[in-house]
Amino acid sequence: MSETPSTRIAGWLQGELPANVTIGANSLVTGELAFKRFHSKLANALTLGAHCTMDGVHFDLGANGKMTIGDYCYFTNTVLLCELEIRVGNYVVIGWNTTVTDTDFHPLGPAERVADAIACSPLGKGRPRPEVLKKPVLIEDNVWIGPNATILKGVRIGSGAFIEAGSLVTRDVPARARVLGNPAQVIGEIP
Amino acid sequence: MSRARTLSWDWFPGTIPDNVIVDDTAYIETSFSFQFFRSQVPGGVTYGRGASTYLGTMFDVGSTGRVTLGDCALVHGARIICDAEVSIGDHALISWNVVLMDSYRVPLNAQERRRELELVPTRPLRLACAAVPARPIRIGRCVWIGFDACVLPGITIGEGSIVGARSVVAENVPSFTVVAGNPARIVRKLEPCDLTAHAIH
Repeated sequence: MSETPSTRIAGWLQGELPANVTIGANSLVTGELAFKRFHSKLANALTLGAHCTMDGVHFDLGANGKMTIGDYCYFTNTVLLCELEIRVGNYVVIGWNTTVTDTDFHPLGPAERVADAIACSPLGKGRPRPEVLKKPVLIEDNVWIGPNATILKGVRIGSGAFIEAGSLVTRDVPARARVLGNPAQVIGEIP
Repeated sequence: MSRARTLSWDWFPGTIPDNVIVDDTAYIETSFSFQFFRSQVPGGVTYGRGASTYLGTMFDVGSTGRVTLGDCALVHGARIICDAEVSIGDHALISWNVVLMDSYRVPLNAQERRRELELVPTRPLRLACAAVPARPIRIGRCVWIGFDACVLPGITIGEGSIVGARSVVAENVPSFTVVAGNPARIVRKLEPCDLTAHAIH
């Protein structure tokens, strides 16, 4: 990675880029909220490749979140919620207002959720949160994801797949498939 | 209209581009809506009588794109991605976070898309703007589109129809019809009526 990324980043954390973030040559990260919710404590928590355009993207990494993004990726106002691992290949487009998450955020069981609500509240100082289901998300090379889409935990999107605007992806998408809907269904194939 | 126009109430220090036609009775909340406006054609955006756009509305319009807003059309925070034509009829109501896109802006073919993505970092605004075929979107009179909905390239929505919140419209919608869901399906029909009867003349 280059020592001189042409990043135009400002306005969060007093403008300091977290030390565990690597940004490749000629990549651009814009927006005041890019690292507002970046909490990862891991070494090399976020590795962003070269020639990427990350316009208004939120890199919301939890304490143990790890994210890698390849070269020539182009995201607009995407929210990336990562508690475990999100891996994105090269030449991936993600449209405006799309969310990618690798976690359920809260437990499914009501009793565990009560415990979680307390742990998250101002009264829960230091109380550990119960386990939450997390599964890595893998987005392979050449994937196109439209605006207003949602990619949920554990999903692997195969190389060259085309995710139509507004789709909610809950299951793996085969390579070069075209998907649409909530839940997203395969509606065709990209030649 | 050749002088730079500003809005006295604007929080954003921008201007309304010269090729945007604004009726005297129309309202633009902020020039921020034109941050990604690159249209070079006359009437890149045309506001009809009493048409209005509010905060969050973004005219992401390419060099040959043209957007028209009919009389009293109200756009409250839609992302309009337009390289050909997006027309919004009289008295149409468009909610927040709605996406109206007449183009995918990148080639469908992965190899060609890679070439386009290699060009993006070389452009001043770093936008994708491949010359892929755009298909116009036509939204009829008195159409109401709920929040977070998406309208895909080439779609026509007939007059008087309603698109439910968070729907994705992938097929044309007939007039006086309620559609909802992702993909959007017909939910019910509305009683057709004369949409001009209550209009202000």
